[in-house]
Amino acid sequence: MSSHDAVNILMVDDQPGKLLSYEAILQPLGENLIKANSGREALDALLRNEIAVVLMDVSMPDIDGFQLADMIREHPRFQKTAIIFISAVHLTDVDRLKAYERGAVDYISVPVIPELLRAKVSVFAELFRKNQQLEALNRELEQRVLERTEELRESEAQFRSLANSIPQLAWMADSKGEIFWYNQRWYDYTGTSFQQVRGWGWKVVQHPDHVDRVVQSIQHSWSTGEPWEDTFPIRGSDGEYRWFLSRALPIHDASGQIVRWFGTNTDITERKQAEDALVKSERLAAMGRLAGIIAHEINNPLEAISNAFYLLRDHASLDEEARYYARLASEEVSRIAHITKQTLSFYRESHQSVPVSLPEILDNVLELQARRLQLNGINVDKRYDSNGIVQGFPVELKQVFLNIIGNAIQAMPEGGQLRLHLRESNARGSGRHGMLICVLDTGSGIRREDAKRIFEPFFSTKETKGTGLGLWISRGIIQKYDGYIRFRSMRLAKGNVTCFSVFIPAAGMTRPTRTAATLVA
Amino acid sequence: MPDDKFLILCVDDEENPLVLRKFLLQKAGYNVVTARSAEEAMEIAGRQDVDLVLSDYLMPGTSGAELAQQVKSHFPHLPVVLLSGVNEIPAGADVADAFLSKVEGPERLCEQIANVLSDRE
Repeated sequence: MSSHDAVNILMVDDQPGKLLSYEAILQPLGENLIKANSGREALDALLRNEIAVVLMDVSMPDIDGFQLADMIREHPRFQKTAIIFISAVHLTDVDRLKAYERGAVDYISVPVIPELLRAKVSVFAELFRKNQQLEALNRELEQRVLERTEELRESEAQFRSLANSIPQLAWMADSKGEIFWYNQRWYDYTGTSFQQVRGWGWKVVQHPDHVDRVVQSIQHSWSTGEPWEDTFPIRGSDGEYRWFLSRALPIHDASGQIVRWFGTNTDITERKQAEDALVKSERLAAMGRLAGIIAHEINNPLEAISNAFYLLRDHASLDEEARYYARLASEEVSRIAHITKQTLSFYRESHQSVPVSLPEILDNVLELQARRLQLNGINVDKRYDSNGIVQGFPVELKQVFLNIIGNAIQAMPEGGQLRLHLRESNARGSGRHGMLICVLDTGSGIRREDAKRIFEPFFSTKETKGTGLGLWISRGIIQKYDGYIRFRSMRLAKGNVTCFSVFIPAAGMTRPTRTAATLVA
Repeated sequence: MPDDKFLILCVDDEENPLVLRKFLLQKAGYNVVTARSAEEAMEIAGRQDVDLVLSDYLMPGTSGAELAQQVKSHFPHLPVVLLSGVNEIPAGADVADAFLSKVEGPERLCEQIANVLSDRE
């Protein structure tokens, strides 16, 4: 509405002559002038039109001005409508006028001075116009607020659906660093509720070894406003930890103040495992190369020494005592030879793989260990549910079971049960058909802290007796067959039970591999 | 010097192991002749009636495997046993009649040689 829009002015008087004179006086204002001859006509006009000012004579025959004003005021729409009374100044009139003080009410005494009437009407008309403009502006603003709210609601909804569709865990924190929102993936992964993890509650899914560092690094970012990045494990609903790369960025308002933080956690477990495995396999490969060199350098002189003592120990010129020393030396050299053969320079007696009977191998190993089994008072219980034929190399397969069964015997110095079970099975994962051999003992068990390390080279729990290479070599051999070695150690009320399972695909190994197995484990 | 003992040609670039192996084989009842290189070995094999060649696998110059190949091409019926301290069954070792690790010990060496010779009979 422009400031020049005309407003309606209602003039009420029972005398047409007076109406005409008011009309003449007010014409120059350029407003719309509406005439009413009675109170009823006036009410009718009010209902039909938006009236800015009512100009009325106090003394009218049917309803007088004050009565009409009361009726107008009763209507909610007209409570603020400006009213100008025209009256001869009676004392009673002045008193009654006071009752209207709160509303926009004025009066003019007769005789009417045209300039005064114009001025008063004009003020109210202008006031009405301004009010109209203000209301229009308000309505427009309200509309814009409504639209904006809707836009925000939509963009919020879009943001949440985006945040729930990304593979990352995502969250938002307020300017103080209190997290007030997580995406659905966070709840799905951690199995937590908002009540548990709001604010700083997320510490419950942190790993105890990392939580202090993480809190410190995140607090540093909260206080400096620097983007945050850290890598640490987060516990999943299954109780297992996975590694996450975590980042948070501050979101600023127009004045540059941080209003909130938006953060994500990206699962990098597999990448990390691959990296770790790479480092490990590089380390093992380097160790293998080193072992190869050492083997060669040791084996050459070892053969000469071994031959020398062999010749010496029965030499005719030696007396009994000297021969005894030579024999001792010869035996000790054989021990060295045995170690290097077992660990550093494993080789095959044949280039061609052959059908190998696992029951035969196992029986052979038991026979070799018969004395120790008897000495330790160990009961053997064997069950072969298959002919157990695999394609392979008997010597190295024998070495595997010598290691595993030998360990089981050593774990039972006070006696116990050794159970061998051979059956056909399918590999976990690939589903390949093959032989599963379980070697179970009731010995000392494997400590939880050792469990992860027992396949590492040079790791031994036998203080002096072991080289720490047995299981490492065994696993290397079985891996060449595309098989696996796994173990479980359980603490039961009656004692410990440890079970090593070896799976060997029936197809076994048909191709001769030239690289010594043990060194590329 | 005609007797009924087998003549073994021992080849190694290193003096001590070569001499000790020679004594060992003599004690086991063989006649032994030694060579310090593959070239020398080929030369001896050409002029003496050798029954078996026992050679180190890893030698500077011509390797034991190459020697085995040369022996097989010139004297197809002369058996070759290769001895090695390395970790792997090397390429080209297949041509030999037997391949043995040095750490197997003297008894095993004699046993292996006896086996190869008896196969020849």
